[in-house]
Amino acid sequence: MFSSPLRAAARRLAAGLVVLWAAATAAYLALLVAPGDTVDTIVGDGADTPQIRAEIIAEWSLDRPAVVQYLDYLRRLAGGDLGRSYLLQRPVVEVIGEQLAPTLTLALAAAGLGVLLAVVLAVATAGNRRPWLRRASSGAELLLVSTPPFLIGIVLLSVLSFRFGLFPVSGDRGVGALVLPAVTLALPIAGLLAQVLRDGLDRALDEPFVLTARSRGVRERTVLLRHALRHALLPAVTLAGWLFGILLGGAVIVEQVFGRPGLGQVTLTAVTGKDMPVVLAVVTLSAAVYVAVNTIADLTYLLVDPRLRRS
Amino acid sequence: MPARRLRTLAVATLAPLLAVVTGCSTAAAPAAEAAGEPRSGGALTWAVETEPITLNPHQYAQAKARLLVWNTFESLLTYDKQGKLVPWLATGWQAAPDGLSYTLTLRDGVTFTDGTPLDATAVKTNIDKLREPGYAPGVAAVQLRNLKAVEVVDPRTVRLSLTTPDVLILDFLASPQGAQVSPKSLREAKNLKAGGVDVVGTGPFVLDRYVPGQELHYRRNPGYDWAPPTAAHNGPAHLDEITYRFLKESAVRVGALTSRQVQLVEGVPATDQPLVTANRTLRLTRELNSGSAYSYYFNTSHAPFDDLRVRQAFREAVDVDTVLRSVYRDTATRAWSVISPSSPLYDKSLEGGYGGDAAKANALLDQAGWAARDADGFRVRDGRRLTVRLVQAAPYVRDRRDVLAQAVQAAVKQSAGIDLKIALVDQGTATQAFERNAYEVFDNSRADTDAGAALNLLLHSKGGINRTRANDPRIDQLLESGQGTAEETKRAGIYAQLQQRVVAEQALVLPLYAPADQIAASTSVGGVRFEPTAGVPASAYDLWIGR
Repeated sequence: MFSSPLRAAARRLAAGLVVLWAAATAAYLALLVAPGDTVDTIVGDGADTPQIRAEIIAEWSLDRPAVVQYLDYLRRLAGGDLGRSYLLQRPVVEVIGEQLAPTLTLALAAAGLGVLLAVVLAVATAGNRRPWLRRASSGAELLLVSTPPFLIGIVLLSVLSFRFGLFPVSGDRGVGALVLPAVTLALPIAGLLAQVLRDGLDRALDEPFVLTARSRGVRERTVLLRHALRHALLPAVTLAGWLFGILLGGAVIVEQVFGRPGLGQVTLTAVTGKDMPVVLAVVTLSAAVYVAVNTIADLTYLLVDPRLRRS
Repeated sequence: MPARRLRTLAVATLAPLLAVVTGCSTAAAPAAEAAGEPRSGGALTWAVETEPITLNPHQYAQAKARLLVWNTFESLLTYDKQGKLVPWLATGWQAAPDGLSYTLTLRDGVTFTDGTPLDATAVKTNIDKLREPGYAPGVAAVQLRNLKAVEVVDPRTVRLSLTTPDVLILDFLASPQGAQVSPKSLREAKNLKAGGVDVVGTGPFVLDRYVPGQELHYRRNPGYDWAPPTAAHNGPAHLDEITYRFLKESAVRVGALTSRQVQLVEGVPATDQPLVTANRTLRLTRELNSGSAYSYYFNTSHAPFDDLRVRQAFREAVDVDTVLRSVYRDTATRAWSVISPSSPLYDKSLEGGYGGDAAKANALLDQAGWAARDADGFRVRDGRRLTVRLVQAAPYVRDRRDVLAQAVQAAVKQSAGIDLKIALVDQGTATQAFERNAYEVFDNSRADTDAGAALNLLLHSKGGINRTRANDPRIDQLLESGQGTAEETKRAGIYAQLQQRVVAEQALVLPLYAPADQIAASTSVGGVRFEPTAGVPASAYDLWIGR
């Protein structure tokens, strides 16, 4: 018999695979029912004659039934073959592989900065110690959450890059070029996360254990950081999946504004061009990362909350 | 697409802010000296709007990528300013008296940048490759439709024989698709159809770095010595290096230019042009593209545009000048014909011949039986509203053509009670609408160097993009004789008749504006120019950095 953690891990892995399959299939079906077929996409707005169509169909074996194409796709996916991009005429592994690192760098920098900002803001403004700071911070957060990242990016660019020349406008070229895109992406994250964290902190501060801690003479900072913050973190950790969604969605816009290479650009081009192999690969990859992020979040619960470890 | 609207909104909100922020930073800067005499050396960065889908010229399909093609690749012929073909990699060509074959002599001493010499066999290899099934179906089916065979006469001479006289074969030889790729690349490139650093040509630059999503980097080809007669100098390029950075947002491109992070940008929309013209260290130049004008094509296969009077009425209902001014301020050039005014085939006599007469529009519609009006003020006939649908594929919308459509929509509603419905959709939905004949208006412009090539696709009854669905033997016959006639005045006469037929007599199209390209550059950059005839930004060959 497997020991129980091993079995749990196996179950987790199986569930992950099911999610991957479901995501790939859903994306495949969505693209299948979308108007126009692959040949239309490849033809684009250029000349369109039966001869051209016949050649495209022959090249990509598009005359096979949809089910056969789907099964063939799954078979190749299982073997790690993501196919070739219809539009870019290159292997998908290559297209995505070379764009993965810039996006990862951007996402990690933005997530790190966003979380850091949120924790600092929430801890500084939780409770009723500084009502004016709390109001100002809360207002700023709301503004950041409701401003489209495009606008934030353009404002940052025109002031810090075009006006004062502090940061370069574009590209994936060192730390300087990473600052503005990362800040653009981090601000909305910080806004929402700070609200959730502060709410959690407020609720934790009302709990009897905080009263107990205080009555033991524990300093206020320790109460906040050691006791209340751990409680407040639980709902915030649950948002990890959401955070990932924001990062991917935001990357599309941020990469466009800042002329940065990355998966966001690739995804946008592929979806508008109905470049099936690339879209499917991005979806499958996103699902895989999503599963990983949520697994890590579940493990983090155990770390944060000792009660969960016992059960 | 909500994201798109959001973007437009954001840009609208920010335009004043940007004007303040960037405007005051540059107004204070001292005026730069003119670029002076050409000199060698240095590196430039050019921000471009479009990242090419492919770097292989045989697969070329984006006019916006044309300036990149000619850095690394060259064709056998090219066009001069007057639209005449001139030699490039070929020193000359000879047409057979029956028009059924063309013999080209090649220039001596031309080598691809991988060391392979350019000879007749290389040319044959290129054209044969284009006809290989699955390699370039669009080129094989359209441009090389009438090509029978390519024959190597001797190492410096190649002969193209045709199945029927076709002067457009020369246009092909001057086009990016007809550019010469090293036979070694054709054999060995890793992703041939995508192109890349391992697909090389004979051009003045060598592509040595491609970072997808970010930039292309070229360095000078030191052995280059075969510039076309249209170039401003001979020998190797002036610049050591040039980088093209992809910046899709026009506000970002212009910002990068005004803050001197790049020295040249292309694609400067009307809203951003004041930022450039107000700045004494920058210079804005524009040029009209060749090919077909941006026009609305009326679907004549069903009501209401099967009726000539309704087509004429639609044209009379739009005051094109007013509409263009409201959308593009004074930066757009009105088109009067289906052919761009910059083309040598353009028929000037069409100018002022129609349009902008609301009274006439209403009279025509009354005659055509659309006399009654419904509660919303739209015309009706037999209980059906006078509705026409314009379907635009979002990925191909440029120059704010979606906004232009809204202005036309308002104009035809107000002046004649026509209901223009605009659908901004994805490519698949658009193609489906065209195939199901579920549209009445189709919008298009094509940047072909020879307008005849564009018209073959758009107006011939068997054309690949014949969205008017017109089947007019006279039009077909004119197009075919235009394609088969080499003598220039005679050919222009044929296309003048064709334009009269299509625009004046049949009212198949509403020409709107002549597409143009813009370059904004620092005044320290010399040699900024457009490709003759094509009217798109030229390659980096003649660029230099002044003191």
